Amino acid sequence: MPRLLIVDDEESILFAMGRYFRSKGFEVDVTRELEEAQALVLNVHYDLLIADFRLTGIHGAEGLEIVGLVRERCPWMRSILLTAFGTSELESEAVKRGATVLLRKPKTLSEIAAVVNRLLQESA
Amino acid sequence: MTSDVHSSLEAILETGAVRTVFQPVFDLSGPDPAVHLLESLTRGPEGTNLEPAGVLFEYARRKGGEARLDRLCVKTAFASVPALPPGVRVSVNVHASTLERDLDFASFLVEGATASGLSPARVVVEIVEHAPSWDGPRFRKALDTLTASGVKIALDDIGLGQSNYRMILETRPHYFKLDRFLVEGCHEDAGRKAVLDSIVRLARAFGSSVIAEGPGCEGDIAAVREIGVDLVQGFILARPAPAAAASRFFDA
Repeated sequence: MPRLLIVDDEESILFAMGRYFRSKGFEVDVTRELEEAQALVLNVHYDLLIADFRLTGIHGAEGLEIVGLVRERCPWMRSILLTAFGTSELESEAVKRGATVLLRKPKTLSEIAAVVNRLLQESA
Repeated sequence: MTSDVHSSLEAILETGAVRTVFQPVFDLSGPDPAVHLLESLTRGPEGTNLEPAGVLFEYARRKGGEARLDRLCVKTAFASVPALPPGVRVSVNVHASTLERDLDFASFLVEGATASGLSPARVVVEIVEHAPSWDGPRFRKALDTLTASGVKIALDDIGLGQSNYRMILETRPHYFKLDRFLVEGCHEDAGRKAVLDSIVRLARAFGSSVIAEGPGCEGDIAAVREIGVDLVQGFILARPAPAAAASRFFDA
């Protein structure tokens, strides 16, 4: 059963995405905090990360920090970065830092799930 | 696992939402295994992402809160002491950075042990560290305060990360703890055995005892005993248990 980590500062999004992916048979952990996400990535074996580009906090681009850590320490993991501010510069920076895919919001849960399934199939 | 308000470091520190379990270190030198000490291990709030100790402490370090969490863990562990069999030796894990930065920590620990009915002479402080540098003199002073009260020092994860030669010289530990990475599988790996043998000889030169953590099978236990290590800790011997259930370790 693939294991996902979902990181977003909005509780309602975490709840909806967590419930959706669990219903599709995934094992899912969710968190709102950058540091908790980092600690989880370093201690739990995940197959894929879904992270919002911007979390509440002082950093402003926390999603990039998480995908960077994933690339450095968990190279088998795929990562999807979600952003409302998609620009070609950001896309290039996100890929440079390790994001497998940058998705521009809004996206439906089924659209995100299609990307998740594709990435997991590619890495199988 | 889910994230909720109780998962934040501040909430944990405010509510004291950690619990302690104990895992024995056995002395295998006699005809029957005997409990040498009980290591206190912390678990985060049940059912949250932070329940596993590895996640909890990595999170606290990234939040810069390891010293405050160390205080809570020590306090919680000592609160369990009255439920343990009398006369037992107890170890607690403390970051080197906590001893360096929290100038009152050593006194806090000694007073906490005494207040719980545990003589400091029956306390072992296991030093763990993940930060690359620390202030030697302040760290040394904290260790002096502890050892002057009778507390013994153990150095965790010897040979890995920051538990290097410098740390050995700074701490002059009573116990060298060999990490699972080196111990597990050592019976069929000449390289691992060579590294373990070298560390054991180093420990002897310091007059220290050695604890082997995490043997994966009886073969690993036989291999560490062959190189002179009688103190062994691991799931294969006993899994961690709450204080109320710790008496069963003494019936082994």
